[in-house]
Amino acid sequence: MTRDEAAEFLYREALHLDRREWDQWLALYAEDAVFWIPAWKSETEQTSDPDREMSLIYYEGRRNLEDRVFRIKSGQSPASTPLPRTVHAVTNVLITAREPHAVETSASWTVHRYDTRRKDAHVFFGLYEHRIERRDSEWLIARKKVLLMNDIVPSVLDVYAF
Amino acid sequence: MNEMRTIETISPIDSMIDAMIDDRPADGVFRLDRRMFTDPELFEAERRHVFEGGWVFLGLACEIPEAHDYFTRQIGRHPIVVMRDGSGSLGGFINSCPHKGSRVCQLAHGNSRLHVCPYHSWTFDSAGKNRGVKWKAAGAHAPAFDELSHDLRRLPAFAEHNGFLFGSLVGDVPPLSEHLGEAAKLLDLITEESPDGIELVPGSVAFTYHGNWKLQLENASDAYHFTSTHPSYLKVLELRAERPDDATPRSVWESDQPWSEEAAGVQGGSYSFDHGHVLNWGLIPASPAHPMYDRVEALGERLGPGKRDWIFNMRNLTVFPNMQIVESAASQLRIIRPIAPDMTEVTTWCFAPRGESAAARRQRIRSYEDFFNPTGMATPDDAACYENCQAGHASGLVGPLQGYSRGIAATKLGGNVFSDKLGMTPAANVLADSQLCDETLYHNYYRAWRTRMRAGVAREALA
Ligand code: FES
Ligand SMILES: [Fe+2]
Repeated sequence: MTRDEAAEFLYREALHLDRREWDQWLALYAEDAVFWIPAWKSETEQTSDPDREMSLIYYEGRRNLEDRVFRIKSGQSPASTPLPRTVHAVTNVLITAREPHAVETSASWTVHRYDTRRKDAHVFFGLYEHRIERRDSEWLIARKKVLLMNDIVPSVLDVYAF
Repeated sequence: MNEMRTIETISPIDSMIDAMIDDRPADGVFRLDRRMFTDPELFEAERRHVFEGGWVFLGLACEIPEAHDYFTRQIGRHPIVVMRDGSGSLGGFINSCPHKGSRVCQLAHGNSRLHVCPYHSWTFDSAGKNRGVKWKAAGAHAPAFDELSHDLRRLPAFAEHNGFLFGSLVGDVPPLSEHLGEAAKLLDLITEESPDGIELVPGSVAFTYHGNWKLQLENASDAYHFTSTHPSYLKVLELRAERPDDATPRSVWESDQPWSEEAAGVQGGSYSFDHGHVLNWGLIPASPAHPMYDRVEALGERLGPGKRDWIFNMRNLTVFPNMQIVESAASQLRIIRPIAPDMTEVTTWCFAPRGESAAARRQRIRSYEDFFNPTGMATPDDAACYENCQAGHASGLVGPLQGYSRGIAATKLGGNVFSDKLGMTPAANVLADSQLCDETLYHNYYRAWRTRMRAGVAREALA
């Protein structure tokens, strides 16, 4: 996977989220994918051991993301009904490691979120670290780690805004 | 002139305090004016009198175990710092330099023997003592300067109960033991979850919402909302039960449904304590979904069956006005901080008994994130409801709220067979079946609120 291809892969993930193409979004993830957003333990340091320290989200297995999508679509979550609008912007994509059947990337992201209930916009921003692996014939996300810089959550923050 | 004076001496807040709460126990009436959630002047007054005018929770002693450890927080608007000095004593201080007011300690927590003010380098030790006024000798001060203390100002009241730290910006408060009263037994129970006490899981998470602080206060005590606000979470638990998978987090709600009609008889209830503290609770049998299940026998041996059962029960404790401890899917500590009539910050931590197994700790954290985090599957739904309420209260004028009525006819003074197991005597209790969902425990918040507000207004009138 070249840097351009990796960037395109990340852009596609972002677009699926912003278009609410949930099945296509989930299809980018390996079944055993890790989805991790560490919490901050001080002004400068994030948590690093999800089994002993807090994360905002830590899931092992795409199954958990499927459950989140189920909840978002259920119509029974006041935080998700109506769903806030989002636009992701992904930039500064770099390949940080390369193996025969995997690449690791870093990238910068912003997500503009518009809450239609309150008619209120908010910008989240941070860094991505993806591990993308070739499984059979497909490239799939084996791990997505999100560093959220502005981590005071304004009432609602869900998987679609990372 | 006389007329002018009369108008000045009747505080508009004073009359507003009484008008907010229609509290007539003999008539079975308790109604709240919506301006409680919206009025800017009332908000300013309650920030002064409720938050800056009495005991508030600051944090845990276990956050600063070593000499010279410190953490910073706020009481109302004031930055404060809690430090452990070289001899191990804890102290609470206003985190503002006596020179020109800069915040002295900049970090959320740290360890330092000396704190150097970033502005002109006045220096303080971990007991708050001034250790240096830069270029003092050359300063050509008048003698009056030397008569002043240059130390960090101590909080007028600061005290610990069993590792829980409280402070007050006014000195005329009852002793902490009196403020906590019988509710202290619920704090003690938490520390007994392990023979070595509790600890915070590293990494705190904060969220804000566009709503009044009392919406959070009430929600933790709101048994009525659970199946209405969180059906999506409950459906996810059902999905997980249909397709069991080691990768999914556990939850105490996964098998036990105390709200269902099949759950006959007493399923929980509420306790109200003096000074505004409340507990609502639900019977939850020990099950593998609970992170302490591997110690159920050890807990029984150490504490007896009564306390052991209480440790597995759902317990939502509020220590008025700013601390909540919620124990169900996992254990959460929250500090509520009002920012504006329609803006509140809630800082949250997962706490855990020290020494639990790696597997139990992992299960606890997964369960916590999934349910409690503002990025999880329950708390955002609560926050959305707070914002919907705040929107509904917008004008403050549309008649009183009716949500303080359930349980009035079931309220009994004193304790019951369940509080007896903790040797605890609350001021009042309600025993509830699965669907009673007591709302009288909110009365206790607002009566304490009224007491603090009146005391604050009286204090200001004297000053
Ligand atoms: S404000 Fe602290 S030394 Fe001047
Ligand atoms: Fe809730």
